[in-house]
Amino acid sequence: MNDGPLIVQSDKTLLLEVDHPSAAEARKAIAPFAELERSPEHIHTYRLTPLGLWNARAAGHDAEQVVDALLTWSRYAVPHALLVDVAETMGRYGRLRLEKHPVHGLVLSSTDRPVLEEVLRAKKIAGMVGARLDDDSVAVHPSERGNLKQALLKLGWPAEDFAGYVDGEAHAIDLAEEGWTLRPYQREAAESFWDGGSGVVVLPCGAGKTIVGAASMAHAQATTLILVTNTVSARQWKDELVKRTSLTPDEIGEYSGAVKEIRPVTIATYQVLTTKRKGVYPHLDLLDARDWGLIVYDEVHLLPAPIFRMTADLQARRRLGLTATLVREDGREGEVFSLIGPKRYDAPWKDIEAQGYIAPADCVEVRVTLPDGERLAYATSDPDTRYRLASCTHAKIDVVRDLVKQHAGQPTLVIGQYIDQLDEIAELLDAPVIKGETPVKERQRLFNAFRSGEIGLLVVSKVANFSIDLPSAEVAIQVSGSFGSRQEEAQRLGRLLRPKTEGRSAHFYTIVSRDTVDADFAQNRQRFLAEQGYAYRIIDAGDLSAESS
Amino acid sequence: MSSSGRATPARTLAEQLRAWPDERLVALLRARPDLATPAPQDSSQLASRAATRSSLHRALDGLDRLELSVLDALLVAGQTTSEEVISIVRADPDHAARALQRLLDLALAWEAPGGIRALSGVADAMRGMPGVTSGLRPSSPDPAAPAEIAARIAELSPAAAALLDHVAAHGGEGTTGAARRTVSPAEAASPAEELLSRRLLVPREGDTVVLPGEVGLALRGGRTTTEPVDDVPPLATSPRDAALVARTAAGAAFDVVRRVELLLDHWGVEPPSVLRSGGLAVRDLKAVARELHVDEPGAALLVEVAQATGLVAEGTEPDGSPAWLPTDEFDVWSGRPISERWARLVGGWLASSRVPSLVGRRDAAGKTWNALAPELSSGLTEEARRLALQVLAEVPDGEVLAAGTGIPSLVQRVGWLRPRRPTIFSDLVAAALSEAAVLGVSGAGALPPSGRLVAAGDLPGAAEAIDPHLPRPVEKVLLQADLTAVAPGPLETEVARRLHLLADVESRGGATVYRFTSGSLRRGFDAGWSALEVRDFLTSVSQTPVPQPLEFLVDDVARTFGSVRVGHAEAFLRADDEAALAALVHDPRARTLGLRLLAPTVAIATSPLDVLLPRLRELGAAPVVEAADGTVRVSRPDLQRARSRRGRRPAGAVEARQAAQVQAVATAIRAGDRAEASRPPTVATISPSGALAALRDAIEGGSTVVIGYVDNHGATGERVVDPRRLDGGRLSAYDHRADAVREFAVHRITGVRQA
Repeated sequence: MNDGPLIVQSDKTLLLEVDHPSAAEARKAIAPFAELERSPEHIHTYRLTPLGLWNARAAGHDAEQVVDALLTWSRYAVPHALLVDVAETMGRYGRLRLEKHPVHGLVLSSTDRPVLEEVLRAKKIAGMVGARLDDDSVAVHPSERGNLKQALLKLGWPAEDFAGYVDGEAHAIDLAEEGWTLRPYQREAAESFWDGGSGVVVLPCGAGKTIVGAASMAHAQATTLILVTNTVSARQWKDELVKRTSLTPDEIGEYSGAVKEIRPVTIATYQVLTTKRKGVYPHLDLLDARDWGLIVYDEVHLLPAPIFRMTADLQARRRLGLTATLVREDGREGEVFSLIGPKRYDAPWKDIEAQGYIAPADCVEVRVTLPDGERLAYATSDPDTRYRLASCTHAKIDVVRDLVKQHAGQPTLVIGQYIDQLDEIAELLDAPVIKGETPVKERQRLFNAFRSGEIGLLVVSKVANFSIDLPSAEVAIQVSGSFGSRQEEAQRLGRLLRPKTEGRSAHFYTIVSRDTVDADFAQNRQRFLAEQGYAYRIIDAGDLSAESS
Repeated sequence: MSSSGRATPARTLAEQLRAWPDERLVALLRARPDLATPAPQDSSQLASRAATRSSLHRALDGLDRLELSVLDALLVAGQTTSEEVISIVRADPDHAARALQRLLDLALAWEAPGGIRALSGVADAMRGMPGVTSGLRPSSPDPAAPAEIAARIAELSPAAAALLDHVAAHGGEGTTGAARRTVSPAEAASPAEELLSRRLLVPREGDTVVLPGEVGLALRGGRTTTEPVDDVPPLATSPRDAALVARTAAGAAFDVVRRVELLLDHWGVEPPSVLRSGGLAVRDLKAVARELHVDEPGAALLVEVAQATGLVAEGTEPDGSPAWLPTDEFDVWSGRPISERWARLVGGWLASSRVPSLVGRRDAAGKTWNALAPELSSGLTEEARRLALQVLAEVPDGEVLAAGTGIPSLVQRVGWLRPRRPTIFSDLVAAALSEAAVLGVSGAGALPPSGRLVAAGDLPGAAEAIDPHLPRPVEKVLLQADLTAVAPGPLETEVARRLHLLADVESRGGATVYRFTSGSLRRGFDAGWSALEVRDFLTSVSQTPVPQPLEFLVDDVARTFGSVRVGHAEAFLRADDEAALAALVHDPRARTLGLRLLAPTVAIATSPLDVLLPRLRELGAAPVVEAADGTVRVSRPDLQRARSRRGRRPAGAVEARQAAQVQAVATAIRAGDRAEASRPPTVATISPSGALAALRDAIEGGSTVVIGYVDNHGATGERVVDPRRLDGGRLSAYDHRADAVREFAVHRITGVRQA
């Protein structure tokens, strides 16, 4: 028996004992190929998946290294079948190669003829390839580069893309490191991406993904198209780029519902691209409007399906994906892998936190009890309205008030899904509200005021969820959320995880109605946060007021 | 029968056996166990049994290539000295001498007055094994000296030499056609005549000629074979850390114990049914494979080993249908330490004749083999497994079978050790190797110390040897805020059982990950736990403080775990008169209604209302229909068990018994011999078995005997004969009176005496 920190399970999960003296070394050894699934306090769970192993292959690790890492750090003997499976899976990547042929253009080639035969026999592949050039290669229609990669991944034979990229229209972009410097992991992330060609950089919210994007643009020195989730986020990108690079505001264009500018660096929203009119996407031309040298996808995990289809046609351009998580609620992780590229950089949240860049958050679930009248109403209501009833109980408003009082003086956000409830809270606390109907200008004004400290309390609805930089929020109170999705949770927490000036810990409260669907969803949230390694407490609303008084 | 033959050489095999020391006799009976059952009366009967066809075949099957070659050389040389035999075997003289000694020990050859000779039946038994024997004929009775033969061959014309080579290369037999049989070398007109004249070919019946053994030897340079017969195929090995071997094996051993336990725990609740043909359905095997995270061949092996160990057997479900169920022995087994459990499984595997490697393949008729099918066994399996381990044990410490070439080289070695085994034997050996790896007997292609002890038959020792390498059972788990508990090793059985009740297993392997959910905790409450007990238990098994969210979950579940019990019944009975209700429930005539008293004033019935009502009225009650309501029992499926197969004894006990038996048999033979010796030498009629023994003695000794014989007319007469063969109830012997070989029915022989 070896006294390693790792236990390899037969279901391909790896358990890492965190308190073991050599845990850090073991983590370093397995991180390149295993996906961190859960990181609660004592035992972290990694999983071996084909995608993860292929990601590792793409990053230059081979099966021998993987097997060696498992054998070295494993406490018990590693199941033989698992080792065989690892070698076999990793052997599948790169058996097929997409290459540029001087005469025939794009070709799919293989040194392993049976594999080529197998995939060519698949019905899905048939329409994407052209003439057979020789025993080991076949011509590929350039337009099918992305679709082919996608189809091959589904068949279990992911192709390595060596066909290269167009340089794009050159445009000078430099980092302006004045008063700030690129953090080491940001530099590493940008370099890993650039060396890999295309791919995804995974960094937690607040770890400076925008800066990684800027650094990558400095590598590319070419016109860049940046795709972001919404207008506010687009403006933030613009501000950040102006601040961090040699780019001037005139060089950066915004392409959104309101403005349609095409400049050397253009920031477009997913929404405008996916707007459909009479069955066509009128703004699709944007993708070809310039000879882009780099395309940046912000929040890759939210990339809408139509963008995937468009991206399939952009395979000759360098693509950088930025995200906090590769986990997609719709399970399209494989499409990110084949269309944008394999993961090029990853850093576990907690590790970055330990490096002092992100303030730790204290997560508290506050349980309120529905008053008898509401309980009866809840019990007899329709299933569709139950969540709303549970979420919007008046009991929660008292708790919000208590919490705000408790954290008086600290910038506080109240987040919710239901406008009525938010309005009510805002009125009670005399705080401004940002909701769907709030004009962009007004939103920006409020955000700026919040950031500068003019306003200490802001009530925001779901619209504020994505990509809005609120660097000084220290307390977030969630009164209702849309069905406890993991993504939403990551977003909300991300809001609080932005670097704090004095290293104070941030507080994240969720208010939950006991014994209702609200509590059931809260369990998902609790699991996710605990799995991410955050301390999670549950307290009773009654105890809370006792605590604050 | 004379008792004077104490001196070597003996006149008969029986005489020789009589002269052997006890230890040697015991060794013989041990090596050829079929001779000892049933116990022979005396040495002559033992000798006679040793010469029977079936026993000879059995003994020959156990010989390696060298031993077979030496035996073959003995047949070619005829009765001769050991030096001579050894000299014509192309092998190291020491090896050949050892092989010859073994043949003598096995009573396949014996030391007759004129030299060592093979038992008479051996020649027949050895025939028809091309590649195993040299293919040479026995030498002529008085062969010419090798130099003389070489000179004669040298004199041959090229055509004759070519013909001789041709005959030698094609079975040593030919037809002469027109060639004259008796010519002098000078007169020889054709190559055939040339060879005949020089006695390089010898005429036989009809017009066939054969190449006598001495000529064949001369053509092969004085040896029976052109290739050496003692070059044992080498094992292809490569260096590997011995510690890794031990670890890999222990890992596999732990896995196999864990999986068998999991399998049978599962089957105890949801037993798969027994196919009409007796096996396990393919669907059920697939389910096992899924459940245990193994492939189907792996699942088949586990199921078969569990059965071979007696942990699973055919039983009946409550509804009477046959199902595969864990036996009561499984309960005993589960309570033992892991190393002992492993040793039991390995013991079961070693002693079993089952062939799990065939599961999923098709038989000759195209039918797929099912796991646990009764006919899925082979008499060769046990030997294949023992031999595979025995050879694997030869791989030195610090080395393992080389990847790729190792296993074929081992199979080849086994082919050398048992040349007479059919080709399927190689498959069985290869399968045995992979099974040994799965069972943790071997690891990374070599035997760790524990595996060597298994190969040597010392299972308790093997269990002790593997124990330090197995994961230590842990008593504590790590509780985490995401509501999981991780046991970083195999849990103590009792803790595991409780945790299993309170949490769902999420991942298995060296460690086990449990997840607490409100459902799983509720299961605990269903089984009678209270919130306090759950919390106490969690505190006691956790290495770390119980996370607050988990405590909250326990309390939440406890709060909602109602005291109300819900269910359904066909009807309920309510009465204010408690006595009347009790009387009704206990009335024997109401038994079919399925009445059950829930409270003094409430009972339920399992019969529908339209049956219940008329019956209650018949019983004198005047029921009023009210509504349908009732209570239900919370129950969990019972663990089912089949009876263990009886008559299984631990492997050690069998051996001890055998040893004792063999000793007893040897003593019995001795007693028989003494009785025989003290009896006055008579020529009177003897028992049929005595007659047979005497006849075999005569065959072995080539001696002449007088037999009493009842002829076709019922008249008894005496014949003087030289017995030649004894087979199928008939004696073929040279009848001195008739001057011809005659056949005699053994049952008509009334007596035998020395002439």
